[in-house]
Amino acid sequence: MAEILLIEPDRMLGKIYASCLKKAKHSVRLVSNAQAAITAIDKHIPSLIILELQLAEHSGVEFLYELRSYTEWQKIPIIVQTLVPPNLFFNNKQQMKNLGIAQFLYKPSTQLAKLEREVRAVLRLVPA
Amino acid sequence: MVEPNERLLRALAEQLKLPLLQIARQAELGSAEPGEALRPIADVANMALQLVDGFLLSSELHAQGSLQLEPVSVSSVLFDTAHQLDRLAKLYDYKLEVHLAGKYGPVMAHQASLLAALTTLGYSFLETAGQHEPSKPLVLGAHRSGQGIVAGLFSEQANLSTDMFRRARALYGGSRQPLQTTLASAGAGVFVADSLFGVMSTQLRVARHQKMSGLAATLLPSQQLQLV
Repeated sequence: MAEILLIEPDRMLGKIYASCLKKAKHSVRLVSNAQAAITAIDKHIPSLIILELQLAEHSGVEFLYELRSYTEWQKIPIIVQTLVPPNLFFNNKQQMKNLGIAQFLYKPSTQLAKLEREVRAVLRLVPA
Repeated sequence: MVEPNERLLRALAEQLKLPLLQIARQAELGSAEPGEALRPIADVANMALQLVDGFLLSSELHAQGSLQLEPVSVSSVLFDTAHQLDRLAKLYDYKLEVHLAGKYGPVMAHQASLLAALTTLGYSFLETAGQHEPSKPLVLGAHRSGQGIVAGLFSEQANLSTDMFRRARALYGGSRQPLQTTLASAGAGVFVADSLFGVMSTQLRVARHQKMSGLAATLLPSQQLQLV
């Protein structure tokens, strides 16, 4: 069981994803924007972050750069689960690696079962 | 140069990803526990249909050219809009209120366009629920101004300015987030509403209502009753 920080601007989708992850026995904190995410991580470092790139105010990419600017937060694994199409994001694989993105999931093609599998796969790679 | 209708269509297509995604994932969740989990699907689907209908109405009326306006009761339309948005507001845990500041007669408008505009605008505002404290309501409001009756959607936490909205008008249909300071989505509901208000020879703009800000249009009072 892991502690997941879910950054999802749409409240309805946030509840759906949180419900799915809780059924898979994870503990989930749900926030809707980058600022709230930083505050949440400051309180307690999660085992995994699931991030939508299309956020209001500060974008998910801005959040990623801010997150990785803190030494103690550089190793938190991130799954990007987003409405941004993959062809617009995959142009820079080195950038993805530098930002510590463990997996990129395009929401329209990611069913809940797939999300659960990917979360398990990423968490398996996290050192104990 | 991209035609305005095509830009709106692109914004609409981008926007529709969200309700379709909500429907698909909710259905997936509900397939294990039907009943309660499946109920939101109808509400989301209905709102997506309203959005498409709003676009089609604006497209049809713009193509017609001139539009015959009629006396319309703003308060009735606001209450009808609240009724349309109520179930979705509950799904978003967003309290909805109707505020009518003062008494006024009918305005010159097109009933169907006004209802569609306020409904699609409301849909966009409901999406911002995640940014708001649960106790702060989304307000369907109207008040008198020097130019006429201002009617629209307002909240205490709407992060809008005239400049932002002007930029958003230039960006929609080309940017995935034309109103990024406020909306994570394409905000097509806002631009469909803008197009519908355009059909009524008015325009959506950033406005204030009591201590709240939001998006509203100014409608001219009907002169008919003044002859009585």
